Amino acid sequence: MAALIRGLRAGRALRGLGGVAVQGTVSLQCSNVRRGFHRAALLRLASDSKSDTSVPPPSYHEVHTAGESSSSSAQGESSEDAQPNTSFQDQSGEHGEDYETEEQLQARILTAALEFVPQHGWTVEAIAAAAETLGLSSASTGMFNNGAGDLVLHFVAQCNAQLAETLAEQNNQVQLGQSEAKKTAEFLKDAVETRLRMLIPYIDTWPQAMSILLLPHNIPDSLKHLSTMVDDIWYYAGDRSTDVNWYTRRAALTGIYNTTELVMVQDSSPDFEETWAFLDNRIKDVVNMANTAKQVQATGEAVVQGLMGAAITVTTQKMIQFPERNILALTIMSCLYFSDYMKEKCLACLSFT
Amino acid sequence: MLHRMMRVDHAGEYGANRIYAGQMAVLGRTQISPLIQEMWDQEKQHLRKFNEILAENRVRPTLLLPLWNIAGFALGAGSALLGKEGAMACTVAVEESISEHYNSQIRTLMEKDPEKYTELLQLIKEFRDDEMEHHDQLIIEILVFALPFYVLLTHDPSLLQVPGYQLMKAIIQVGCKAAIYISERL
Repeated sequence: MAALIRGLRAGRALRGLGGVAVQGTVSLQCSNVRRGFHRAALLRLASDSKSDTSVPPPSYHEVHTAGESSSSSAQGESSEDAQPNTSFQDQSGEHGEDYETEEQLQARILTAALEFVPQHGWTVEAIAAAAETLGLSSASTGMFNNGAGDLVLHFVAQCNAQLAETLAEQNNQVQLGQSEAKKTAEFLKDAVETRLRMLIPYIDTWPQAMSILLLPHNIPDSLKHLSTMVDDIWYYAGDRSTDVNWYTRRAALTGIYNTTELVMVQDSSPDFEETWAFLDNRIKDVVNMANTAKQVQATGEAVVQGLMGAAITVTTQKMIQFPERNILALTIMSCLYFSDYMKEKCLACLSFT
Repeated sequence: MLHRMMRVDHAGEYGANRIYAGQMAVLGRTQISPLIQEMWDQEKQHLRKFNEILAENRVRPTLLLPLWNIAGFALGAGSALLGKEGAMACTVAVEESISEHYNSQIRTLMEKDPEKYTELLQLIKEFRDDEMEHHDQLIIEILVFALPFYVLLTHDPSLLQVPGYQLMKAIIQVGCKAAIYISERL
């Protein structure tokens, strides 16, 4: 979807150019256009090969190679595309296996950049260092509009994917009967611990990453990652609720995760024991609260019933003692019955567990 | 898009459930109660099915469920306090809105890709038929058993002639449209 939007934008840029081959000046606008050009070419070729047409129209191809050769090493992708170029010329229009999209390339660079994070922090320098180790120019960082934000979001997405895989694997084992299903509290604790342990190699620079995630232009993405992760954890914990519990549970787990993360970054105990103890206590709190809520509700109901019973008994007695007060007593009793009934209905409506 | 559709359908069935519950709370001991109970049971079945679908597809339920809970019950109880004709008229208006909504969903799915969404299409068609059945049943109930005089006088078997019904129907339809719009997004 995002690729489609980029392709559309690139298409607009192309039309502005009139499809003329670009000479290699290194201005930002030019490189943007070249980027867009490259992406449009990739998109066009992807759709071409999907529809199984023959060789792409020669003008495109010609201009593309001309554009590629005139592009400065700033892009650096020409070296990548020198090999997959063979797939462009493939008569049957199929993709070669070594064909790499821009997104895959970006993912490779960012994954490599994680190794340089302890040294350079969550910055563009880490990305540049990684680009160099991959044989690309350090100016490849121009590919990343969001700079360090891209790196952090990539890392978060990677961790979440890993967590989802682990949880799915565990779920599989339980389905196959090879291991026991955990209780909810224990499952949540293990899942959050697994996810937080992925931060350990980067724990010294993690406060920087957290602040990057809190930048206004990163907040939508970081919230999306967080909510997907929490949804995954609850799903594999067995939550299939379709009422307001869906929200209360996820809100509770989000709170637990965030506070435990904060505790972790300033924890200096061996193997973060204090963090896991904190996590344990928080989960116990939430479980306690749910139980207490149930108890309060049950107690409230019992108290109300008791009061109703007492009032009815008193009124009945009065009815027998003072026949002339019958009408009043009858009115009171009918009101009590009605309010009792309404109370039952209300409690039934508002029950949330 | 699919998630939105499932979310709003789930909210709709939940609301319909609460409307019938409100009506039964007031009219539970009258002559009309078996009919309302039967329709309520069908709605409960619909809701159960949608609960399953939401769980299967990991769809988020709408945040406003508590609101629809109270609003539905209030609408049901309020219309039932107008008598059994009031309750039936309210149900007729609601069922008409729901059927229209399901029809538009069916149209959307058919436009997109009938083969891919066959199961969902079949389900929505089935539910729409159920709702239309409720609607038709109740129209007959009202016109034939509750208000035969209007029909005899005007020779026009349409509910719109009954005073106050048009107003009620307009309010309910606007309410339903607003509820659908919000539930799709929130």
